[in-house]
Amino acid sequence: MEKTFSITARNISKTFHISEDNHNTVKHRLFNLFNPPRKKLVEAIKPLDLEIEKGECIGLIGRNGCGKSTLVKLLAGVYSSDTGSLKINGTTILMNLGVGMSHELTARENIYVSGSVLGLKIKEVDAIFDKIVDFAELRDFIDTKIKYFSSGMVARLGFSIAVNAGADIMFLDEIFAVGDVKFQEKAIKVFESSWIEGKTVILVSHGMDVIRKYCKRSAFMKNGELKFMGDTNRAIELYMEDNA
Amino acid sequence: MMKVLKDWIVNSNRLERLWLLAKIEFKLRYYENKLGLFWALLKPILDICIYYVVFKIVLKSDVPAFASFLFVGLIIWNFFIESTMGTIQILSVKKYLYEYSNMNKLEIYISTLVSNAIGFFFNFLMFLMFYNFIEKDSIGLSIYNVWMIPLFLNLFILSLGMSLMLSNIYIIAKDITQVWMVFSSILFFLSPIFYSLSTFRNRLPSFDYGNPVAGIIINARHVMMDGTTPEMKLVIWDFGYAIALLALGLVLLNKLGSKAAEKL
Repeated sequence: MEKTFSITARNISKTFHISEDNHNTVKHRLFNLFNPPRKKLVEAIKPLDLEIEKGECIGLIGRNGCGKSTLVKLLAGVYSSDTGSLKINGTTILMNLGVGMSHELTARENIYVSGSVLGLKIKEVDAIFDKIVDFAELRDFIDTKIKYFSSGMVARLGFSIAVNAGADIMFLDEIFAVGDVKFQEKAIKVFESSWIEGKTVILVSHGMDVIRKYCKRSAFMKNGELKFMGDTNRAIELYMEDNA
Repeated sequence: MMKVLKDWIVNSNRLERLWLLAKIEFKLRYYENKLGLFWALLKPILDICIYYVVFKIVLKSDVPAFASFLFVGLIIWNFFIESTMGTIQILSVKKYLYEYSNMNKLEIYISTLVSNAIGFFFNFLMFLMFYNFIEKDSIGLSIYNVWMIPLFLNLFILSLGMSLMLSNIYIIAKDITQVWMVFSSILFFLSPIFYSLSTFRNRLPSFDYGNPVAGIIINARHVMMDGTTPEMKLVIWDFGYAIALLALGLVLLNKLGSKAAEKL
């Protein structure tokens, strides 16, 4: 059977140009008007190739600062790659704590906006609206602006929208850290149900049990480099060795 | 062309999304404040009062139906300035829309301008009521008023182009806000908002072609107050001007806009 790819990345890389503002006082700034701040280049992702098949659940592991989140943003089409080419086949959602909602809007408005951005028609959002609200346990606050929500409530709402609206390709960045223990149990139950069936998932986590349980293939990253892509157990071994 | 249109209308939720975002933008702008939508209606009237006192009472302007003359100029200008100055930071303010998905950024601009267009529509209705029921020198409604539709479309394209250019330059140079503040006040004073057309053309020759908003204001007065067709040469020139600026804005969105998520 011919493989269909959700993501095909060829030679993609990302370098950040970070300026260091060392003019700390007004006087210093005035006298250095034509002496711009120093620029520093940070090679966040070194050139890499990656192919993710449709319906695959891929683990992405590595130590803090190794480039996992940057790679996820590149693959989701949020950041542009400096080199190479990237083909994304479908809608994407990048999910982590507190991203993707306007704090000036109410929970109801955020549900409609996010659902719409994820490709749903208004009628389709109407159909899943109650499910989203009940899953997030926010029935009493549905017309409250989310700037008055606690961070847990915002995260629950984001999670619930993603669970019920979904997208073709989902990037889940430490999602099991959302909410209290009760909500986390609920999140795991959803993950174990048919939610991710037929969807492409890229799971970023420091929880090796989660990665081992759900991902057949995993990527291990170190210092912006894709060191290994393949069997999950081998990727976890490399990660553990790196932590030792 | 038909396939693209069908895809937008039937197969995708784009049109619905644009309308949803526009409605929410409109609500955020007006319903959040104490004065609400009332302010949107009050602002052009207050502006008209100020300029009326300065130009008609103090400087003794000889333009007939001066309040209506100002009204047309100011509602067009207000739409232009709200859609340009008001959107310079749009990619920063609306980051939540593209930071977690691969949504097309152009939709964010169009929905914001549609929201501004709703405001313009209310102001235009007020102008119609003022001109037809209060203005003494009114010639009333005429078939030429329909020309306002293409003229507004011209204004929309022009504002969209400028908005794209300014907000994408903002990603790499935040100073564009200050620069545009000065530049837009140059455009304001060098447009025929409060000068009669003959004075404007005598004192500032070729500015009706140089300033892209000037031609739209001149033609809007022709079709609303003079009962004539618009100056076709000016219409064609202004459409060309707006389309060229839109093309430049789209190039900038493509080149610089892709960096918005990381730079803003």
